[in-house]
Amino acid sequence: MTPREKRTVRFATIGIGVYLAIFAGYQAWKFGERKRTDYRQLVKEAQELRDEVKRYDDKIAVVKKLMENFHMDPAGLKRSSVVAEASSAIQKAAQGGGFQVGPIREAPAHASGRELASIQFEGSGPVKGAVGLLHRLESVGYPLIIDSAQFSADPMRPGQLKVKLTVVILDFEQWKSEGAPSA
Amino acid sequence: MDFSFMKSSPVFLEIGRDFLKAEKDRGNVQILLERGADGRLTAAGRERVTSGLRAFVNKKSFQPRTRAYCAIGANGVSLRRLSLPVSSKEKFDQVLRLQIEAELPLAPDELAWGHRLLDTGGTAASQEVLVAAVKKEVIEEYRDILAPCGLEPVFTLAALARNFLSPPANGTHALLDVGNNRLELVIFEKGIPTAIRLLPAAAELPIWDAVSKAAGANWNGNKIYLTGANGEMVSQVARRLNGSIECALLAVEPGASAAILGLKKSVEQNDGAQLLILQNRAKPSAGRFDASSPELKPWLLRAAVLIFLLVSLPYIEALVMKPFLARKLAALKADKGRLATIDNELDFLRSLKQSQPPYLDALFVLAKSAPPGTRFDSLTMDRHGDLSLHGVMQNGAQVTDFRSKLIASGFFSTVSVDEQTPTPDRQGVNLRMTAQWKPVEARAGLAIGPTAEEIQKAKTNQDGATGGGVPPGMMPPGIIMPQ
Repeated sequence: MTPREKRTVRFATIGIGVYLAIFAGYQAWKFGERKRTDYRQLVKEAQELRDEVKRYDDKIAVVKKLMENFHMDPAGLKRSSVVAEASSAIQKAAQGGGFQVGPIREAPAHASGRELASIQFEGSGPVKGAVGLLHRLESVGYPLIIDSAQFSADPMRPGQLKVKLTVVILDFEQWKSEGAPSA
Repeated sequence: MDFSFMKSSPVFLEIGRDFLKAEKDRGNVQILLERGADGRLTAAGRERVTSGLRAFVNKKSFQPRTRAYCAIGANGVSLRRLSLPVSSKEKFDQVLRLQIEAELPLAPDELAWGHRLLDTGGTAASQEVLVAAVKKEVIEEYRDILAPCGLEPVFTLAALARNFLSPPANGTHALLDVGNNRLELVIFEKGIPTAIRLLPAAAELPIWDAVSKAAGANWNGNKIYLTGANGEMVSQVARRLNGSIECALLAVEPGASAAILGLKKSVEQNDGAQLLILQNRAKPSAGRFDASSPELKPWLLRAAVLIFLLVSLPYIEALVMKPFLARKLAALKADKGRLATIDNELDFLRSLKQSQPPYLDALFVLAKSAPPGTRFDSLTMDRHGDLSLHGVMQNGAQVTDFRSKLIASGFFSTVSVDEQTPTPDRQGVNLRMTAQWKPVEARAGLAIGPTAEEIQKAKTNQDGATGGGVPPGMMPPGIIMPQ
């Protein structure tokens, strides 16, 4: 090759090299930019999620406090056994206060009222025991609401109270299925 | 805090033609120098000096560079006394450079040189300056050896350093250092060196000729100090000088370097301020950027790496961190379902709490409002707030009072006496009442419950009581339950 041809080839090689370098650089930059955009999106999502979780700190504290007060973990309640367990817990609470347990009747509750069942409980015992029972039923570890309470003199046992309570057991599953957070 | 461990003592060196002596603290070392035909150190010789000095200096990596005072031999050194016109401080360097360029065979940029202003011999229009200069390659060669040993060298002339040992240093005398194969002679007038000469070996020495030639006809000194010599040599020299010049030996321990001792003395006295320091004073090339400079290359490389990192780190972060972040985010999203559970639980528990009827509060209000002697036969309450009771009170006034108290408690929205009839024995009043308690929002502001005093009283009563678990103070005395 003549020197002129050699120079031409050299310039051509340099030109192609520069073109390839620019082309490859541009492609690499585009690739990097795409990855970076994705990453930024992820970071933004992570920040939003973190903020959302942070907002739940207060709610968690309230839930914890309420669970401690009621001695109850709603997640641990089983629909199939909660009525039996609650009935047993009511009787134990009554007997713990010196109460003599009388007839107990269970009945399914109204489906529309978020209630699982109702228990009618009768018993007799001292005044202090009756008041204590009302107090203890709130914290036996089950979602109980005393629908009605009736106190009267026990004609068979002077000085004792006859108590008739209708207790409703709430259906936690209905809160789960509704699921729409309103708090 | 004591940071003395960070500092290290200075190193003092004398670099001759064929030896290098170093002293630090109380330790010293002597290394032989191996030079080529051109007078420069050979590669092997440089390596040996560097390794020997590195071991001697023993600088820890956390310590800064150690200052090294180096006294170099007179070989190739020019000493000039220049007279300059008085000029401002800014222009002085420029004038001095011009004068050096005129007086010396090499340009100032090719020299390592130093100067000292002399306070004698000048007039109002001129000033005397002493200049010592040597080829800058000499200094740079030594600097290249010393820098890898962790030293920061400053260079001066060994011949001038020795003069710090002579009493007095500002006298008019000659100083002769006797080396293995050459002698260094310096002539001083009132402490100012006026001439420096290298003489051949002592045996061939026509010292007086050399001194008189070096000093010139006007030199009026009559004393010559010797270093590196012994007493016998002093007598020989004195004999050769025919007693015309007094000879004295400067006290230096055998094997010790007079130049190093002089350097140490100067540093101890005034931190070496009187030393004539030789420096490479090449003019910085204004506005020119030489990228091929070996000193610049590492910095350029570092700058390039930093710029590359600066530009590419966001992209590298995205490439490297994205998989980790995506995995973590997926786990968090999976856990997000638990947030809905928390909402459900909170809803449920709040609902449960708000649905709890205030039976105990109602009993407390009834008990507190009932007058003494009241008897309740039955009491019925439900969660909708309806309350009905049957009982007996002593008279109608008590019924009215009881009702007023119930209303005044703020707990009930309505209280009605459905029936009030005298008992058959006319000793009391049969009573049938109904009431409705207020909704939860209206009751929120009420302070219902026993006071601290009542709680304490109930506790005291409870000590003797059996069974129960009754909340304290919930049933104050005054109510007679049916018999």
